[in-house]
Amino acid sequence: MDITIKNEGEKTFVTLNGRLDTTNADQFQADIQPLMTSPKPDIDIDCTGMTYTSSQGLRIFLSLQKSVLARGGKMVMLNMNPQVKEVFDITGFSNIIAIR
Amino acid sequence: MKLDMHCEMILDEYRDRLPVLNKMKEVVLDILRRTLKENNMVVTAIEGRVKTEKSLTGKLELKGNKYHTIDDITDIVGVRIITFFSDEVDKIAALVEQMFEIDWDNSVDKRKMLEIDRFGYMSLHYICRIPKSLYEDPQQPLLNEMRFELQMRTALQHVWANMQHDTGYKSEVEIPMEHQRSLNRLAGILELADEQFSRIRKEINDYRRNVQSLVASGNFDEVPLNGDTFRSYCELHPFRRLAVKIATINQAELYEDSPMPYYKILLHLNMKTIGDVERMRTECSDGAYQLALIQLAGTGLDIVAYSVALQNLCIVKILKLGFGVAGLTSMFDAIYGESTYNAQRADRIYQQAVRANLV
Repeated sequence: MDITIKNEGEKTFVTLNGRLDTTNADQFQADIQPLMTSPKPDIDIDCTGMTYTSSQGLRIFLSLQKSVLARGGKMVMLNMNPQVKEVFDITGFSNIIAIR
Repeated sequence: MKLDMHCEMILDEYRDRLPVLNKMKEVVLDILRRTLKENNMVVTAIEGRVKTEKSLTGKLELKGNKYHTIDDITDIVGVRIITFFSDEVDKIAALVEQMFEIDWDNSVDKRKMLEIDRFGYMSLHYICRIPKSLYEDPQQPLLNEMRFELQMRTALQHVWANMQHDTGYKSEVEIPMEHQRSLNRLAGILELADEQFSRIRKEINDYRRNVQSLVASGNFDEVPLNGDTFRSYCELHPFRRLAVKIATINQAELYEDSPMPYYKILLHLNMKTIGDVERMRTECSDGAYQLALIQLAGTGLDIVAYSVALQNLCIVKILKLGFGVAGLTSMFDAIYGESTYNAQRADRIYQQAVRANLV
């Protein structure tokens, strides 16, 4: 899983590439740590290149969104491919996480 | 206008006491914020101020001879609580009476001072002291000796008082009669609005309590389906059994989320009562589980949302009604917004439903 984080003005753009699974979930969690502290974050997560997420990935996205909302910010996941979207759909996470 | 020596002495005393006065304001604000929070009371604002030297000088110029010492001036520290509803003023006053020592001789309920045919300033003013049991600093005994003024009023009373104050007149006696009449007429309208807001809130609360008891009684066919009744129904966790069964497929963690987004789907499905929802739950549970089994088994996904139970119930209901792929697409469009993906998802689920003999 490759991750890039760019800040442009008050917005943060995160780009994800590859598989998010047990082998790299801890690293991913560490990579997004800076997003857990910024005040009133506004985060777009581009998932065009993400090919899979495991339930650990779902948990990380969930805790990131909770943290963002608690700070009065917003987060949206964009451009999911159908395989990744299906994981969110069948677990009900499409009802929880903002996806566009 | 130059102050006489007596007033100058009061002013000197004020300057000496300024640090304690500021401390007092902070202590009172802190106590009030904490107490209101502990009692789950939400107010529009809690604000406080220490009278400025300029303002105190003005007061002394006007009526300095009325005060023997600075302690006779009870509003140097002033705190105000602004509520949403008029009945909350009395509730807060009751709390304040329990907390602070009230100087009843100098406290006034301006709401009761107006004649029945007059409208104007409505606010409750208490002159208080901080009891040692609430806060004590041996270095600053004045904190428990000095008095402060606590005003309690509604947001609309606050608006009126500010508007009147904004006219620049210090007393209503000075305002030209025709303007005073206009202001008082407005006070009447705002008093009526305050009363109506309280009445409407009471009616809504009564309605909700009634709905909750109707839902809790289990007479679901008698309960019309609306946002309030569905919320009360959801508080009974009607989809928990199915959600737990679905979670068991992968020994998954069940994440508690709200099923409320599906309320609009129930309306689309022309459900009229909670009884209709209950029938869907009992008639479609097996299908909803079978669908989840096909989707989740073998994926290793070990977390599912509670709402997935209602999501699958709606899917099965739509398929049972014969709405097919188009019906499912409409459902996803309504929940997530229109997108081409919704039709693909609907088609995939339809194929899964065929495999599970649901259609």
